Amino acid sequence: METKKEKEELSYKEKFIQINKEAKATWIVGAIAFIVWLAGGFGVYLSVGNSWTILGMPAWFILGSFGCWFAGIIGVVYLLKFVFKDFDLESDEEDTNE
Amino acid sequence: MNDSVLRLIPVIVFFAGLMGVGIYVQRQSADAKAQNFSKEYFIGGRSLGGFVLAMTLVATYGSVSSFLSGAGKAWETGFGWVYYATSNVVAAFLILGVFGKKMAIVGRKTDSVTVIDVLRARYRSNGLSYICAATILIFFTTQMVSQFIGGAQLFAACTGFDYTIGLLIFAAVVVVYTTIGGFTAVAITDTACAIVMVIGTILLGIAVIQKGGDLDAIMESISSQSVQAVASGEGIDLLEPRASGRIPFQLYLSQWLLCGFTTIGLPQSQVRCLGYKDTKSVHKAMIYGTVVVGIMMIGIHLIGIWSRGLFTTVDGSTDTVIPVVVVNYMFPILGGVAIIGPLAAAMSTVSSLLIAGSSAIVKDMYLHYKAEKREEPNQKLVAKISFAVTAVMGILAVIIAVNPPDLIVWINMFAFGGLQTVFFWTMLFGLFWKAANKVGAIASVIGGLSSYCITMALGISIGSFHNIIIGLAVALICFVIGNKFGTPIDDKTGKIFFPEKY
Repeated sequence: METKKEKEELSYKEKFIQINKEAKATWIVGAIAFIVWLAGGFGVYLSVGNSWTILGMPAWFILGSFGCWFAGIIGVVYLLKFVFKDFDLESDEEDTNE
Repeated sequence: MNDSVLRLIPVIVFFAGLMGVGIYVQRQSADAKAQNFSKEYFIGGRSLGGFVLAMTLVATYGSVSSFLSGAGKAWETGFGWVYYATSNVVAAFLILGVFGKKMAIVGRKTDSVTVIDVLRARYRSNGLSYICAATILIFFTTQMVSQFIGGAQLFAACTGFDYTIGLLIFAAVVVVYTTIGGFTAVAITDTACAIVMVIGTILLGIAVIQKGGDLDAIMESISSQSVQAVASGEGIDLLEPRASGRIPFQLYLSQWLLCGFTTIGLPQSQVRCLGYKDTKSVHKAMIYGTVVVGIMMIGIHLIGIWSRGLFTTVDGSTDTVIPVVVVNYMFPILGGVAIIGPLAAAMSTVSSLLIAGSSAIVKDMYLHYKAEKREEPNQKLVAKISFAVTAVMGILAVIIAVNPPDLIVWINMFAFGGLQTVFFWTMLFGLFWKAANKVGAIASVIGGLSSYCITMALGISIGSFHNIIIGLAVALICFVIGNKFGTPIDDKTGKIFFPEKY
């Protein structure tokens, strides 16, 4: 896992394969945040109504809003640790693909 | 000293600081600008670090309407509106994660400074570029106007100045620092703005809770108001997600597109993907951006509903809820700091729109025209033209704002959705779908934008969905159909944008 933190030498082509993977994973995190929002908010409200409260506020709100936000943060941390890679944004190979 | 004057002190100090940044940046970057003016002025020489990238993205995105209209709506409709605004939290990491690196690499490879540069390099279509540039100019102007109106109203309400004087002071500051400092000044001032937006939000939160006794007392008041509303059948249940039918579920889903997933189609956000330094910056920005956007968006709306525990009626529009809190419930100096928050939200949005709007004229039209005629542009002349265009655009928006049309949210949302129908699919397919071609893109832009604007103007909608659904769906269908009539991507472009397919 530790090797991921170093800048990797990727070819222009390999960078794009990596970027496509990262983009897909980002969409998945977005979708997870949405699902947490839906389940924590409407899901909780439809099943228990306002009988649950957290800090005096409705539980559906806390779980839906803060839950979604935290899910986004945790998701991004996961992405950065396990999916995203560091590499050079400049391409050194000057038009070798001509 | 009276309270209005005390409230003015922090605001003036902040304004002076922003002007200072503009002047400082202009002096610092003089050498780089002599080399390649437009790269330095419009994209800051691609030098943003992670923190500044995150803050400029969030500050551009968080506008005065969230602080005024958004918080006011939450005061009116309850916790449902805070829950509704939560969709914003995905905006920061999505755009950076999906477009960030690909735009950065392709932008460097094709020497792109603007979003339209990237689209032109990809689709090789002047027609498409001009449509996109025109869309940016029109919608950025309406958005700037709405920000000016919101900022000036707030300034007037909290400091006692006349609206027009407030507008002129406040607008002069933004237009001057943006014009002289360019993108780098915008990014730095945005960072300062984002920081005071967070501080302002926190101060407002503390003030509301203190004045309401404590959170329990506030919640008790909100609960009893809700019970009364349900019992009488009048008013709104503040504790229900659908707010007694005021926020239908379809509206929630539309919001997830308009302020969540398809915000990656906003060109003022996309252009930031061309301006950062390295992959480490974009990674950090994803985290910082998501944390800060949550504090701001959930925070300010939450303050809106908490204020319901302080007062249950307002004179006039609910947009005045935050100003009422500042004027009536905060110690003047602290209140002054708190109103910098929304003012900063307006300024940081205006500055980014202004610099990107100016680039649409200078870079996408003038410099492109020069390049087609194979003339080497004189950097000094480019500089003069850029300053002039930026200043004129800003002044024009101010003049329109002197006699303002109503409904900040409406204008802003119209522009917001319009930009998304134009730039969402074109950028997404441009970068990720090799078969996408210029006929598809042009069909999508024309079809999507016109269907969105027409249905919006005539008030036609499907169910309770926002018209963004229609705009995006038509844009998608037009893209796929139009694409059948275009020629496939040429190999040279293909190898830049889709090396993995070769």
